[in-house]
Amino acid sequence: MNFTNFDFDQLFSMSDDTNPLMMLVWILPIILFVFYGQQIQLFVTSREIKKGIAKLDSFREESRTELINYLKNNLKVKDDHLKKIDKFLDYFTIMPVDMDPNGIVDKVQHTVRSREDYTRTHVKSMSLEMSDIELTKVQTLLEIASSLQMIYKIINHMFLTAKKQNNYPLILPLQMILPFIMEQAEAMKDAIPAFKSGQPVGDGIGPMVVGKMMLEHQKENIAFQTSLSQIDFEGRKLFLLKAEGPGSTVGRPADALETITMKNKIDAIIMVDAALKMEGEDSATTAQGFGAAIGGIGTERFQIEAIATSKKIPIFSIVIKQSVKEAITLMTKEIADTAEDVRAQVFEMIHENTSQGQSVLIIGVGNTAGVPQ
Amino acid sequence: MIFSKKKITTAYTVEKCTKCGTLTKRKFHDGDVLFTKSTKCNSCDGLTRIEKIFGETIEQ
Ligand SMILES: [Zn+2]
Repeated sequence: MNFTNFDFDQLFSMSDDTNPLMMLVWILPIILFVFYGQQIQLFVTSREIKKGIAKLDSFREESRTELINYLKNNLKVKDDHLKKIDKFLDYFTIMPVDMDPNGIVDKVQHTVRSREDYTRTHVKSMSLEMSDIELTKVQTLLEIASSLQMIYKIINHMFLTAKKQNNYPLILPLQMILPFIMEQAEAMKDAIPAFKSGQPVGDGIGPMVVGKMMLEHQKENIAFQTSLSQIDFEGRKLFLLKAEGPGSTVGRPADALETITMKNKIDAIIMVDAALKMEGEDSATTAQGFGAAIGGIGTERFQIEAIATSKKIPIFSIVIKQSVKEAITLMTKEIADTAEDVRAQVFEMIHENTSQGQSVLIIGVGNTAGVPQ
Repeated sequence: MIFSKKKITTAYTVEKCTKCGTLTKRKFHDGDVLFTKSTKCNSCDGLTRIEKIFGETIEQ
């Protein structure tokens, strides 16, 4: 056969409608995509999502194993601890009804604190020799493991439902949120080693800044897991507040603020906290602003804002930008290096916004794991 | 994945002498806690205090 004069034009001719082979070559895929496009998409997307779910499953398993090993190796736990832990991991929290939002913050706070109190007592009952610092560590590890378990369950549920019903539109939102979920989950998994060995995490930069200022000054316990020092600085009275380290806790700054303002007149509040950076922003850059810089579910912020508003105290904030992962894993060098600079910014703010004889409250907001005072 | 490199994070501890201010960086040991006074300073008779604990990540 002579290939040199093979007539391509004739074979793939668009104009020649009469060639039945060509009709098939063009029309078959079109029909296929029109009627089965969704299924094909579902198949391709499913494979990606399945990979993600397998990863989430391994994170969940890993975090549970880490927690159990930690308990076994570091604390003499009683025999029934496995059963107890699995029970803890499946705990759920039902948030209050928000149809009538009046008073909802108190309700949310009550629910969340009851849960915390419950786990605290029951984790403590697992071992006789658990110190308060160990207790906060175990509680944090438990929180991570149960969050990973919850994430896995929800994503798996969404996927299986879409699959069962062969429903492509149902899988779309899952495909869209999965990268964000994976980022969060991976960060949580990577957070375990730092919390286990009691190292500071990125979120601890606020407490680190204030904790150093509190060194060698008298401390008092002002609210649950919250520590306060009073120092003098260039004719002003400084109230230094942070969660009580080096356990892993965020303390209760709002309760502390309430107690402080009952007895003292505060003229300004300065809050130092880690903040999520935007994509494209550099890590460990700092920014100043107004308003209460504090994360979490919002109850603490609400309370702080309410007190500040009723007493007409201005709130200034300094934030240190970082990614989700940097915030909960071992503090990076860049973030640790900002501490001196942020401290200088705090003093500058005090200078600029207050005069001699006034009182300033400085709150180091964040998880205080590995950061004493 | 072809392009993702393996990342290894090592924890370091930086000690600062409270007297002469010399900074020393070493690997993190278990039990290191921020701000605690630990060892004798190498260059004077002062005590060092842990100034920072952080991780550095290298890609392999
Ligand atoms: Zn020295």
